[in-house]
Amino acid sequence: MRAPGAEAPASRRVPRTTPRTATRRPVRRWLTSYALLAPALVLFGLFVLYPLVQAVRISMTDSTGIGEARFTGLDNYARMVGDPVFWRAAGNTVLLALVSVPTSVATGFGLALLLRERLPARGLFRALFLAPYVLSGVVVAMAGRWIFDQEVGVVDRALTQLGLPAPDWQSSGAAAAVSVFVVLFWARTGLVVVLYLSALQGVDRDVLEAAELDGASRRQRVRYVTWPLLRPTTFFVVVLMVVEVFQTFDVVRVMTGGGPAGATEILVTYAYAQGFQARAEGYGSAIGVVVFSVVLLATVVAWWVQRDSEEVA
Amino acid sequence: MTAPRTAPSAARPGPLRASATRRAVLGAGAGTAATAGLSACSGFSTDASGGTSGDPDELTMITWASEAEVPAFEKLADDFAAAGGPRVRLQVVPYSQVLTAVDTALRTDSPPDLFRVSYTDVAAYRAQGVLADLPGAAELEPSFLPAFWNAVTDERGTFGVPHHTDTSMVLVNDEAVAAAGLTLPGTLERAWTWEEFADVLRRVQPTRADTYPVAVNWQNAGAFRWLDWVDQAGGRLLTEDLTGVVEDDPGMLKALSFTRDLFRQGWTPPNASTRGQAASDLFLNQTVALCFAGDFLLAEIDSGGFGYSATFLPRDVNASADLGGNALVAVEASDKRDAALDFLAFCAQAEQMGDFCAAATVLPTRSDVDAAALDWNVRPDLMELYVEQARAIRTPLVEQVVVPSFSAINTQLRDRLDEAFLGSADDRAALRDITEGVRSVVRA
Repeated sequence: MRAPGAEAPASRRVPRTTPRTATRRPVRRWLTSYALLAPALVLFGLFVLYPLVQAVRISMTDSTGIGEARFTGLDNYARMVGDPVFWRAAGNTVLLALVSVPTSVATGFGLALLLRERLPARGLFRALFLAPYVLSGVVVAMAGRWIFDQEVGVVDRALTQLGLPAPDWQSSGAAAAVSVFVVLFWARTGLVVVLYLSALQGVDRDVLEAAELDGASRRQRVRYVTWPLLRPTTFFVVVLMVVEVFQTFDVVRVMTGGGPAGATEILVTYAYAQGFQARAEGYGSAIGVVVFSVVLLATVVAWWVQRDSEEVA
Repeated sequence: MTAPRTAPSAARPGPLRASATRRAVLGAGAGTAATAGLSACSGFSTDASGGTSGDPDELTMITWASEAEVPAFEKLADDFAAAGGPRVRLQVVPYSQVLTAVDTALRTDSPPDLFRVSYTDVAAYRAQGVLADLPGAAELEPSFLPAFWNAVTDERGTFGVPHHTDTSMVLVNDEAVAAAGLTLPGTLERAWTWEEFADVLRRVQPTRADTYPVAVNWQNAGAFRWLDWVDQAGGRLLTEDLTGVVEDDPGMLKALSFTRDLFRQGWTPPNASTRGQAASDLFLNQTVALCFAGDFLLAEIDSGGFGYSATFLPRDVNASADLGGNALVAVEASDKRDAALDFLAFCAQAEQMGDFCAAATVLPTRSDVDAAALDWNVRPDLMELYVEQARAIRTPLVEQVVVPSFSAINTQLRDRLDEAFLGSADDRAALRDITEGVRSVVRA
């Protein structure tokens, strides 16, 4: 109940705004927004947009990294079409993504479900899983290189002790690919675990309890309640992992150098070899632009599919 | 219920206060950004920032350097200053980053006054007009061994001084040699022939299941050392005019067949291919009994804790060794170009070169530096052999590895040889892959 006399006179309730102040407010708000955004925009422009535009420009030249470069239009892209090493590297990259992304996502999700429970030393496990991701990629790769060294590595020594055949991790293409995959899996899955763990905090326990009361088994609750509720997180994780795979460089460079015989050459290591070792900077940049375009396209398509499925749901 | 009293204005979050808060936030943000920006300007280390020095009395030189080379370069700089020249500030960067550091400095119009560059990279800079022509080159030339002088010279001038060289020899584990009853050739003329070398590899028995007789040093951008074998067999990769690739060269085929046999016969570890593990690492961990290694690695290998000796590279039609080592060059665009060229001339003197080589365990490029008289820091007995091995660095091989597009050729060699060594294609098909790969990147 409103106290008598508390009602303000009608003339005071009307906002004292003139058309001029009304137009000023959005402008001021707009200015404030952009002023707050400015540091991020400047950094984005300087460190992301500008290099990207430069990469596209260099990809249309015969730049060697020294002296003047000549504009060559789309020659580097045409060369790519007929370059078997490029296609092999592209195939290896796609294969790595097809194998490692689902494996990392599935394992990360499973581990997150386990760690959500009240396990003893749960915090320690979380830290251990995230540690390889936090460590420098070169350090992880160096460790991987020693672990999988085919002459003095601990894996081959252990396999030999057990009477099992010791793979040639550095000189057999398939074995080298497996060793790279295992180290990448070890290095990346920790992040997936942490992302899923934080997402699981947001799953409404009432819904899970309702499902349990309805007789859903533990497996059914995960499959029909938790997993669908985590779909936005899964989308984010998949995109992130695909981008990570397409950006992978340090682990492959240190562990195998793209060998043996090109078996572990991926697009980024090939772009590096062309740009910095063969002094074909223009061609290396063109490969970089293609990698960027493919990742961008894949992200847009995935986002489109995700959005549609969200709407259907 | 009574209407709420009006709160004191000081406690009210009115527009004025909100605005002040935004200003404070913006001010703090701007301050933070400025601080971060200024911090970024200073970089992680001012010494590695690159670019010419603003001090007119100071020259800047970008180089990589081993632990032994840093004091040797510093002594050169000190002696130059003592002789009346400007100070030389060294910017020491890792070997893998030196070209990027130089290229970035050139591209941003803040070039160093001087830099150190391998012979195989000189031509790329020379072709782009980056390097300053050395005045008085004609007077210096007679003192230098022709192969090294040619590495920095073309028809337009001499673009730097050949500062030192290094080359490869075969290092052998003393214990393995004794067990196999081998006698090491003591002179270049008596070096093992390929057949004798193959026989040696058969006789060196692995001490464990995971050991092998030999590893060749063609890893880590060393794929061009495979051309030693080609030159030894009397073959060529590039045509005489250096504008194309020799087709079906018998010497190249013979070299490819022999070097593939190292893998096919199990004489070298499968992971010692061109993209594999460094030969010296395999020697140090005693996976191999013999390894091909440059003299600059002796200090590292000396720390291995086992006895080793050296002998000459095997020979076939020719005795041939790889062109290693580096030149010092001055930048044409430098404001202090003349002073930089003076420093090059200073470093090229016999006394300075001898002191540097002795301290850094590398070989002189001047014929009038008595290498036998140098006070080598590491294994002087072996350095004398390296000096003799360097006599086998042949001009026909040198001219092929100093072409402007050699970086791209070397990358092709690395990739194609890796496929050939570990693949199963017949030798002729493997050779075709190599020549096609190299042809795709050869430029006149």
